[in-house]
Amino acid sequence: MNNLTTNNTIAYIMAGRRQRSRRYWGVTTVLAVISLLLCFLMLYFGNTIYSIDKIARVLGGEQIKGATFAIHTIRLPRMLAGLFAGFAFGVAGHIFQTMLRNPLANPNVLGITTGSSAAAVYCIVILHTSEAVVSVVSVAAGLVTVTLLYLLSRRRAFSIGRLILVGIGLDAMLSSVITYLLQKSASQDVPAAFRWLSGSLNGSKLEELPPLVITVLVLAPIILLLGKHLSLLELGEQSASSLGIHTDRTRIALILCSVCMIAMATATTGPIAFVSFLAGPIARRLVGVGHTNIIPAGLVGVILVLAADLIGQFAFETRFPVGVITGILGAPYLIFLLIRMNRKGDF
Amino acid sequence: MKPTHQFLAEDTVAGYEHKTIIHGVSLSIPSNKISVIIGANACGKSTLLKTMARLIKPESGKITLDGKPIDKFAPKPLAKVLGLLPQSPIVPEGISVSDLIGRGRFPHQSWLGGWTKKDYEAVAEAMEIMKITELANRNIDELSGGQRQRVWIAMALAQQTDILFLDEPTTFLDITYQVEILDLLTDLNRKHGTTIVMVLHDINLSARYADYIFALREGKLLAEGEPSEVITSELIKDVFGLDSTVISDPVSGSPLIVPIGRHHVVK
Amino acid sequence: MANLTASQDKPQGTQVPKRFAIVLIVGLIALGVCVLVSLAFGSRAMGLKEVLDGLFRPEVDSYSASVVQKRIGRTVFSLLAGGALGVSGALMQAVTRNPIADPSILGVNTGATLFVVGGIAFLNIGSANEYIVLACIGAAITAIFVFGVGSLGRGGATPIKLVLAGAATSAALSSLISAIMIPRAQVMDQLRFWQVGSVGAATWDDIAVFSPFLIVGILIAFVTAPALNALALGDEAATGLGVRTGVLRLVASAAGVVLCGAVTALAGPIGFVGLLATHLVRLLIGPDQRYLIPMSALAGAVVLTVSDVIGRILGSPGELEVGIVTAFVGAPILILLAMRSKVRSL
Repeated sequence: MNNLTTNNTIAYIMAGRRQRSRRYWGVTTVLAVISLLLCFLMLYFGNTIYSIDKIARVLGGEQIKGATFAIHTIRLPRMLAGLFAGFAFGVAGHIFQTMLRNPLANPNVLGITTGSSAAAVYCIVILHTSEAVVSVVSVAAGLVTVTLLYLLSRRRAFSIGRLILVGIGLDAMLSSVITYLLQKSASQDVPAAFRWLSGSLNGSKLEELPPLVITVLVLAPIILLLGKHLSLLELGEQSASSLGIHTDRTRIALILCSVCMIAMATATTGPIAFVSFLAGPIARRLVGVGHTNIIPAGLVGVILVLAADLIGQFAFETRFPVGVITGILGAPYLIFLLIRMNRKGDF
Repeated sequence: MKPTHQFLAEDTVAGYEHKTIIHGVSLSIPSNKISVIIGANACGKSTLLKTMARLIKPESGKITLDGKPIDKFAPKPLAKVLGLLPQSPIVPEGISVSDLIGRGRFPHQSWLGGWTKKDYEAVAEAMEIMKITELANRNIDELSGGQRQRVWIAMALAQQTDILFLDEPTTFLDITYQVEILDLLTDLNRKHGTTIVMVLHDINLSARYADYIFALREGKLLAEGEPSEVITSELIKDVFGLDSTVISDPVSGSPLIVPIGRHHVVK
Repeated sequence: MANLTASQDKPQGTQVPKRFAIVLIVGLIALGVCVLVSLAFGSRAMGLKEVLDGLFRPEVDSYSASVVQKRIGRTVFSLLAGGALGVSGALMQAVTRNPIADPSILGVNTGATLFVVGGIAFLNIGSANEYIVLACIGAAITAIFVFGVGSLGRGGATPIKLVLAGAATSAALSSLISAIMIPRAQVMDQLRFWQVGSVGAATWDDIAVFSPFLIVGILIAFVTAPALNALALGDEAATGLGVRTGVLRLVASAAGVVLCGAVTALAGPIGFVGLLATHLVRLLIGPDQRYLIPMSALAGAVVLTVSDVIGRILGSPGELEVGIVTAFVGAPILILLAMRSKVRSL
């Protein structure tokens, strides 16, 4: 008798879980398909439109006059930069938001991307160093920013509000450093200014991409392995630690991984506005809670960056850098979120 | 029945960064029984519980489980024996009840991998004990305070530990739900032999539901023992600074504290 | 100790704050020094003698004289603009009873900028007067919006809510500014100017247009100061003291918005001056608005002028816009405030 009811309960729980799991995989598949489609469109659209057949042959290594140059030198690097940077921003933002249990606590608002960006500008524009040095320095700068953020907001009682205020202050300071460096470089180059202040895929080069690509390919699996731990951290320090994880170690590992990804992405494309903020909440809306949502958040990041870049390139008479588009799309959502959080009394 | 364990705190001194709260407490948790820690506000009840649950590192003293200091355990194996329900657990917005309870299975699961048959059984059993099976696929945001509290306890139950610590499991609940939760916890103890240690606010409910009482004042253990032995008007005066008479609870026969204030006293 | 929370902002009766005389004298000396420094430094630094010669004996060295003459306009403008920003910050903090309210943090000067940029792009406006009117409208709308969003929910407009609402609004508006500017090559030259404020381009004509707004704004600030002291005690207490809080808020914040809008219209968005100036002053002489407001004007003038000089030195041979310098120097104040505040008052 008792056993029978237990079996019924199990069946009931299983049915619910299966339904949620179907939704998760369904949504994830759709997101992946949209991402692939956008990748293709990034290769397809441009000053000249080549046939699918030609694009395939060029990607296969064939030399076709015009097409090879357009695709290999312009469109492919742009697409890859957007793909990997979008994924990195999406995943890292989601991790920060989940860990700190607040959608506003993302690398964008907290000034971490700005820190990496400032370091990258210093290396690229002032010192003219190699890609490897840029990568290392911008990762270091990201970590220094996180450490500063931690030290400055660490008071007797931790408060997410204080962390965010300190982050906004750091962000303002670091932005002024970027502007200063850009000016110092004497290149009154507006595209460069946009790249380092709000993010742009313009001028992406294939040879600049390996650090970003390798970082994402190495760290994404590690982050996935830590997915379960992340979902425990979400329950708060006390529950997480009584469920048997080293909360400090887990947090440090997750922060290291996400800061590395963000820094690499920022060193390549600049801090593309709001992607790390938007991806997590959108993925959550689509998939629901209960799953770790790391991959969906990454895919939403990809979609945001690529779609915004396509819009920026082709929807208007003038070409807009991707960061301007994500900024215009993202900021109203941020305000909407604030209104909702304020009403609920989260702050 | 759950195995017996020897859980000891020896001369434990603990607190937060700038403030020591527990000043040398030694105690032994009675195995397979319900123990309740009582005391006035800010006397260190929760701090003691958290220190024993290794959430706070003691400044000195030793806390051992079956002779082994708890900080020498790897977190996962310890989490299979010892569980804690915090006072104000944090709920991820929008999660479903069974998914949340399932997170209690973490110490029994591998790094990747989904739910095993055992996980399903444990979750189902926990939900049955807490009588919330029909809520399995509901969203946690839709539940009432009493239901949520039962979900949280179910999560701790799904962890299937031999020892369960609960930090004020009945605060913010109506009296009906308070009694209900305490009844359910008593079921758990009587049926499965789970050792339960909890901090309770209500001294009369403590006296009724506890097999064993630890009375704390200003971070020191003042008295311990079965309620019928330790709960006296002198102890209540010492612990809470309250004048009272202690009578026998007409329902349970346990001690019942009747406070004496300045008014409404029949001469 | 700075009084960080509104409840501590109690007026000290009628007495003059301790150390006021000393602070005033030191402030005035600082003002004098920074005027001289501002005249002396630039892409070509000059000694004190050259500056004085340029000022008073133009016949000695005509080159120095002309450089100094040029720098006079800029210095005067930065003094006035700094004063306006200082007072504007003090007013907004008093009206919102919030230590963190500053035109730049609330996004108000981004709003002003957007309207000016939009006016140039779509309405072909070109005169300083039109700039100022549009900037004030933009500033007012933004201020109302940000304050509206920030004061939703429990506890009203807490610092954290205001800062977040301001930062979000500011981000949205600056994206729009970029979107308006990028396709328009003719205004592109001034792009930097509209993203980071600068006092370098100010002319005597600008100063002439700007002055009436400044005078009106500062007069209102002085007149409302005693009532703002009452407001610091809370709306109910202020009403009890006979203050019409609604009218007071409207008038004082209008003055704050006009001051900030007028500066932004002519100099672009310059951040954190108000925050820096008011907190510096509060640290020295306490929260009495009757002294705080004029001293904030003085401090704002000093802060902005010194920042401008720093910008010229760091940026040489060109120059660094003053907005960059003030952000770098002023943002730490925000961090400091966040570190010092109690969790509950966030």
